[in-house]
Amino acid sequence: MPDVIVKNLPFLLHGLTLTLDLSVWSIMLGTLLGLVVGTVRFVRLPLLNTLALVYVEFIRGTPLLVVLFITYFALPALLGYRTTGYRAAIFGFVLFIGAYLAEDFRSGLRAVRPTLIQAGLATGLTRWQVLRLIILPQAIRRVLPSLFNQYVRLIKFTSVASVIGVTELTGAGLLVNAREFHPVTILAAIAIVYLVVCSALSLAGRALYAHFAVRT
Amino acid sequence: MSDEPIILIRDLHKSYGATPVLRGCSLSVRRGEVVVVCGPSGSGKSTLIKCINGLERYQSGSIRLEGIEVGAKGTNLPKLRARVGMVFQHFELYPHMSVTDNIALAQVHVLKRTRVAAQERAHELLARVGLEDKADAMPADLSGGQQQRVAIARALALDPQAILFDEPTSALDPEMIHEVLQVMTELATDGMTMVVVTHEMGFARRVADRIVFMDTGEIVEDAPSEEFFSAPKTKRAADFLSKILEH
Repeated sequence: MPDVIVKNLPFLLHGLTLTLDLSVWSIMLGTLLGLVVGTVRFVRLPLLNTLALVYVEFIRGTPLLVVLFITYFALPALLGYRTTGYRAAIFGFVLFIGAYLAEDFRSGLRAVRPTLIQAGLATGLTRWQVLRLIILPQAIRRVLPSLFNQYVRLIKFTSVASVIGVTELTGAGLLVNAREFHPVTILAAIAIVYLVVCSALSLAGRALYAHFAVRT
Repeated sequence: MSDEPIILIRDLHKSYGATPVLRGCSLSVRRGEVVVVCGPSGSGKSTLIKCINGLERYQSGSIRLEGIEVGAKGTNLPKLRARVGMVFQHFELYPHMSVTDNIALAQVHVLKRTRVAAQERAHELLARVGLEDKADAMPADLSGGQQQRVAIARALALDPQAILFDEPTSALDPEMIHEVLQVMTELATDGMTMVVVTHEMGFARRVADRIVFMDTGEIVEDAPSEEFFSAPKTKRAADFLSKILEH
């Protein structure tokens, strides 16, 4: 391992820990948000559906960096609360990934045959039970590959948090480089770490999908 | 109360937009009766039986299921539906659940049976339809005929007062039609009230008490099965019979 990496390893590892920390929280909370918003869009709850649509379209038309500026600068100023770079980053990532995941969940929900819904209703299950017991479990299995695609994208997106002062892996690397000036070595090392983490997640996603795939 | 019809349909009208699908259908089914509904495709047969358990709405007329008005505002549809089973053309088993779980699901969540009791009942019913060895199989591992027998077991699991069959053999390969019809025949013999939309005229002749013939959204003929097959009253029914029996 190059000296410049070895010397700064603890600092870089701390950055990696932060990247994973941001990713895990954003993925968990973002998935929950996406599931709720996607379901609202699928069920077409009157007022909420419009709200959900506005949210999804807003996020899809806004650069991630701007979303982070909103959660870091704009919202705290407007609503008068204090935040940290770490919290604002997670909040922004959750909002960002949630919108894309919502669309994935919605398309998964819509892919379930309507006659299967009728079959559930015909046995006396309520609409809510049919959604929870029959439609959602299938939709989630079906969209696993797209979910993991979004998760992998998100891990790389967390690098943007460095802009609002969160020293995650990329931020740590940039700081080390500013001091040592070995851009090629340092950026290559960082790139390899992202590659390993993302590939591992991809593989995990494929394994999950292979295990849970719905055969029809 | 026993002579009160279990299903009573009066002057039912339904349309999709400007297209009428049902034009004043009336029908009554008594407890223990087997009624076969036949007619050319697009005649409204499937729509009619999907109105009976409220899967399709209707614009006017009345359907009473055990005396309860299906289309009324305050009707608890889930509760009512649990009292009539339904079997679909394409089986509609839940693909992410084992055969046993398919049969147990509504028992647990609608009838509030314990999981163990529901699974026991599922195994009993699987034995009844000749599939006791498939309890742990997934639907995708079964043939069409086997899937449809599981679907019948799923309907039976709620101890329904009647079962509606929507073209239960239309999606099956010829060699599997027999096994499904055999299960249905046994049900009829056991006294189950059944409304069956089907083109299986052999089954209709053997098992049905009455034949209802529909064309363009109307019930054209409603007659005891022998009478229908030997001496159809209308030309439309006679034409249909000659077409379907010829091939």
